[in-house]
Amino acid sequence: MGETARHYYLRKHNLAKAYINGTGCISPQNSIDSDWFFDEVHSPKGDYFEAIEPSYKDFIAPNLLRRMGRAIKMGVAAGNIAIQQAGVKNVDAIVTGTGLGCFEDSERFLLAILDNDEQFLTPTSFIQSTHNTVGSQIALIMKCHDYNFTYVHRGFSFESTVQDALMLFDEGKDTILVGGIEEHTPNYILLNRKANKFQVREPDMPIWMSEKRGIQMSEGAAFFVLSRNKTQSSLACINGIQTLYKPKNSEDILKKLHMFLSSHRLTLSDMDVALMGFSGDLIFDEKLKSLLPEIEKETTAGAFKNVCGEYHTATAFAMWTATKIIERQQLPKVLAISAKLPSKIKYVLIINQYLDINYSFTLVSQC
Amino acid sequence: MSQKVYITGLGMISAIGNNVPECFLSLSQSKTGIGKIQYLTTRYKDEFLAGEIKLSNAELADLVGDQNPALNRNSYIAMLAAKEAVLNSGIDTKDGLRTGVISSTTVAGMSKTELYYKDLFKNDEHLDVLDTHDCGDSTERIADYIGNVDYVTTISTACSSAANAIMLGCRMIKHGHLDRVVVGGVDALSKFTFNGFNTLMILDREWCRPFDENRKGLNLGEGAAFVVIEGENALNHRKGKALAELIGYANTNDAYHLTASSPEGFGATLAIQQALALSGLKPTDIDYINMHGTGTPNNDLSESKATVAVFGNQVPKFSSTKAFTGHTLAAAASIEAVISVLSLQNSMIFPNLNFNTPIAETGLIPETTLVHTPLNVILSNSFGFGGNCSSLLFKKA
Repeated sequence: MGETARHYYLRKHNLAKAYINGTGCISPQNSIDSDWFFDEVHSPKGDYFEAIEPSYKDFIAPNLLRRMGRAIKMGVAAGNIAIQQAGVKNVDAIVTGTGLGCFEDSERFLLAILDNDEQFLTPTSFIQSTHNTVGSQIALIMKCHDYNFTYVHRGFSFESTVQDALMLFDEGKDTILVGGIEEHTPNYILLNRKANKFQVREPDMPIWMSEKRGIQMSEGAAFFVLSRNKTQSSLACINGIQTLYKPKNSEDILKKLHMFLSSHRLTLSDMDVALMGFSGDLIFDEKLKSLLPEIEKETTAGAFKNVCGEYHTATAFAMWTATKIIERQQLPKVLAISAKLPSKIKYVLIINQYLDINYSFTLVSQC
Repeated sequence: MSQKVYITGLGMISAIGNNVPECFLSLSQSKTGIGKIQYLTTRYKDEFLAGEIKLSNAELADLVGDQNPALNRNSYIAMLAAKEAVLNSGIDTKDGLRTGVISSTTVAGMSKTELYYKDLFKNDEHLDVLDTHDCGDSTERIADYIGNVDYVTTISTACSSAANAIMLGCRMIKHGHLDRVVVGGVDALSKFTFNGFNTLMILDREWCRPFDENRKGLNLGEGAAFVVIEGENALNHRKGKALAELIGYANTNDAYHLTASSPEGFGATLAIQQALALSGLKPTDIDYINMHGTGTPNNDLSESKATVAVFGNQVPKFSSTKAFTGHTLAAAASIEAVISVLSLQNSMIFPNLNFNTPIAETGLIPETTLVHTPLNVILSNSFGFGGNCSSLLFKKA
């Protein structure tokens, strides 16, 4: 069956938009501060990029805080900040994404089983090990009885939340909280180091030119209050998102990217910035590297993982960055790959890759 | 209006059989798959029962036909059930239509991680578990096993996971993003989940007794089940055959407690009501309910109350099939979706085993023997930790 016949089955329009009305972001940078705009950028110490965590008692009740693992704390706090900024009391859906979930609690319960030969166990860490704990905890705090989903698919975990939100708006929901969360434990970091998954980046080598293997693993949480309707507090707008599983080569990615943009009646030259998910790993970045000249022909290319590191839900940080770029009408120098910076910024495209398996396009625009 | 969505293929592996025909045979013979623990390594193997798949990992590898050492029990059973569903449906993923795989799991590769976690620090032998521990792993293995898959994602909402995978697949077809989707869930039994449920003190040492006044808890099981769902356009295009129609679904949150259900079953009531509303059906249109019915004191009372809240004194025939399979967590809702379709196709209600005395508070009595009766619409419930409540409605095609 050819492309034309195939098109018959695809919906020709994809008009649902999502307005971003509030954001909250915990990352290895000072992004928790709403005034921070890449002015002071931290570099990772060694091969791991730790999140800068806020004082959680400002966001979470002490009785809850005591038991929570870091992923839950980061997620609930980032969600809380987004909700406060949007000025909403409740939402119609809570949709979270996480590659590894509440790893700290999972590991704690696993080690307790192994260390004590399955005896003397308590349920708290087991209860909190469930991947949907963050979404459930937010629902509990907000008393939200509505739609609650948790996506756990590697480099598509956050993308799936946004895809879902766009469908939910079409189905009549008005306000949706989406977010991506990732935490890692010292043991997990140690084992990944042992498996040679990391690299220590040379400070002067731009991430998109890296010739080494290994990533700089990182963590964080970014949440967004999305709305079907534009309000006074709307910061930016998500026009669309698409995931791409194991594309064959960079031509394949470029072809799909053109199709994605044309479904929004746009071309690459309409993009003012394209943030690309270079991870610093020579092999994983190969396709993006081949794609880069094509992108730079039409628009200004940028990176973001040199600032946030690599993790399953790094696209959530990229979406937060895109929102900020649109708000400030400026591409921070630290992110710029291309020499020529844009003067006005209407469209920011995010092209992400995760381990050269999970690719995605996210289109964010001024609203 | 958006197109109708049909179930066109079934695949299942569980304690009661390695494929759908075997599972159907056990169901129609009232033969449980729950018994003495044979495969899971645990100090409690003589104290508790479980619904294990009666195959070792080596036997599963042979069935899958892949000796890749990175594969784990979760992937083996997911691949087998998904492939069975695809073959059963007769779809050809190379025909240019858009195919998705939406799977779900709670502990993913834990059954292997827990065997080697301590060794990882000592030697390099099993470091591949770092790449296969996460929930996305088995989904991508299914996608590669089937081939030509355009879209993948994975859901984890505890024991309601597969219901949400089915619901999402249906919505993606209705929104025009995909033409057909292989949807379902998988969970291999692990020491991790076994001990988790044990610390919560909700495991019955005997066979579980869903909806019985004297129920003590659940029996854990393991399994994988997938169904192929197709939009009517794609189905008509290939002149395929529908097994059932997916006519309603809803996802709500109880927002009561991280593990326990609210005593009155508030979230469950909402889920059933919203699924009915979406389908445009009345409560009296439901012919049978395949209950979540885990056998825990908390779930069964809460679910009974929700049932009464929706259906009043006209509660349809119902049963829980967990006493056949054990509670298979993320796979439960897709296993029960397969069972529901088998019920519709064969006009059979499979019995609620081990029931003696109704719960005093609600007095509801499940079907306890195999019932032959025409069925048109079936409601299937699934509830999970974190207050997740999901309901699905299947209609005879």
